[in-house]
Amino acid sequence: MTEMKLSWPKNYNEVPKEAFVREDIYAEEVKRIFHGTEWHPVAHESELPNAGDFKTYRLSGVPLLIGRDVEGVVRVFYNACSHRGNQLETAVMGNKTEFECPYHRWLFDSKGDLVGCPNPREFLPGFNKADYPLAQPRFDIFFGLVFVTLSSETEPLLAYLGDSQNTLRELLAGDGRLKLLGYQKVRYDTNWKSYTDNDGYHAPLLHQAFKMLNWQGGNGRQFTATKRGHICFESALSVATGPSVLKDKSLIEFKGQDPAVGSRIVSLFPTFVSTKHLDVINLRFATPIDAETVEVHYAYFAHQDDDEDMVRHRLRQSSNLLGPCGLISMEDASIFHRIHIGNHTPGSAIFQKGVHDPLKLESEFLQNDESGNLPRWEYYRSVMGFERATA
Amino acid sequence: MIETDMSLEAALNAVLLADADALDSKDMQRWLDNYADEENASYFCRSAENSEHGLALGFMYDDCRARLEDRVTFVNDIWVGTFQDYRTRHFVQMTSYHRADTATLEMRSNFSVFMTPKDSGITQVLAAGQYLDSVRQQKNGGLKLLSRRAELDTSVLPRYLVYPI
Ligand code: FES
Ligand SMILES: [Fe+2]
Repeated sequence: MTEMKLSWPKNYNEVPKEAFVREDIYAEEVKRIFHGTEWHPVAHESELPNAGDFKTYRLSGVPLLIGRDVEGVVRVFYNACSHRGNQLETAVMGNKTEFECPYHRWLFDSKGDLVGCPNPREFLPGFNKADYPLAQPRFDIFFGLVFVTLSSETEPLLAYLGDSQNTLRELLAGDGRLKLLGYQKVRYDTNWKSYTDNDGYHAPLLHQAFKMLNWQGGNGRQFTATKRGHICFESALSVATGPSVLKDKSLIEFKGQDPAVGSRIVSLFPTFVSTKHLDVINLRFATPIDAETVEVHYAYFAHQDDDEDMVRHRLRQSSNLLGPCGLISMEDASIFHRIHIGNHTPGSAIFQKGVHDPLKLESEFLQNDESGNLPRWEYYRSVMGFERATA
Repeated sequence: MIETDMSLEAALNAVLLADADALDSKDMQRWLDNYADEENASYFCRSAENSEHGLALGFMYDDCRARLEDRVTFVNDIWVGTFQDYRTRHFVQMTSYHRADTATLEMRSNFSVFMTPKDSGITQVLAAGQYLDSVRQQKNGGLKLLSRRAELDTSVLPRYLVYPI
């Protein structure tokens, strides 16, 4: 089926750097992964709290319109008119109960039905509006998190999530009843795989803040779920101790209920990373733009039951802690860029920490192990049809 | 009266340029010194997209003097040596101002910021937008920023931010 050649090393802990930079591989990834049998989170229902609220999003180029209809039901459409395919909605978000395509004035209601079009007598004989609703991709919802798949063959969402379900549910505050605080959106100059390989996974030595704040990681586990190697981190929360270099300590304060579920990360194949840390609830909708660019929309949330003080605290913490300019994450952003530059060199990226036997895959890891990424890489290799060397 | 307005406008411009110069020089202490020494001195950087939708979350949310001081610590101490450094050039232009009360002025300005990463040497636009400033008239007559909101037209940043905009 493919002419793509890439020799994949025998060892599970080695990833050929070519995979990150070759245009032909990227084109094939779009087909096999982004348009293939994977589920992609594209929104959380709480981004659209009211009837008529909508958001638009491009999933590796495919324009989507995610809307809450007048009865409160969330649906996903392709953001393209069912007539000639004109982009239907141009706003990033908003509230509308009808969508009108300006080109020939076809009008759609919030359920996606075509409710009006001028001069239909001039159309094809037998033209029937009922035959022209907005087209829809397959979608499903998990505790408010809206997933889309562009393939009819993808397994059901719950099977897709497998053992990551529980961690993801906890991360979504247990009940998915979130309240949107806002976005930080950024493009990184890196291949999407370098982004997912290095976001979520945590390199404590990179962050001087931990040392300066005397902030040790809490105890926890890292495990992978399903054949896709979705990565879950579950840790008790640790709080910084000792003298602080910060004048405003609220940035690293925990005001939530239960420190036992204080820290969660779920990273789903291919690009989704989500985290709950201290009082920050953050969903990162990431999509490739091209082989060398990934766009990430960091969406931050409060919980619907929060009082005013808690919302304010989350807002203040979310803005400054974890995003592309955050106290303990700005450095990660820089690593995404630098890894991508480094990947234009021969050889393989070699994973070390937590690897016991390079010829075996495991599914339980220590918190800061690099080896947690390896099951995902094995899945990637198999989807792409790259053959692993035997010697 | 005209003369007073002219000198006021010149003084406001000086505040605007002092901030731009401090940032482009990466002199965070000077950046901080351009803010009033008041507990609620503040700096916000967020997308106009968030603001227009009633979303208060920002890229930077320094809503008190303590956070401004911490911002200096982030750049000068905590992040040192972990990122690809870049030069910036701020171009600022006041578009309007008015007096809010005897000690406070409101000022709006446009900005565009170019950035040049040191490793690539390629210059590109980092962000464009507006500053919405409250400016405090000190007892000695001097002007300082009381609060600044950098509202970015650029809702998708071309990279992470180290320095305030
Ligand atoms: S393309 Fe939308 S009405 Fe013709
Ligand atoms: Fe990190």
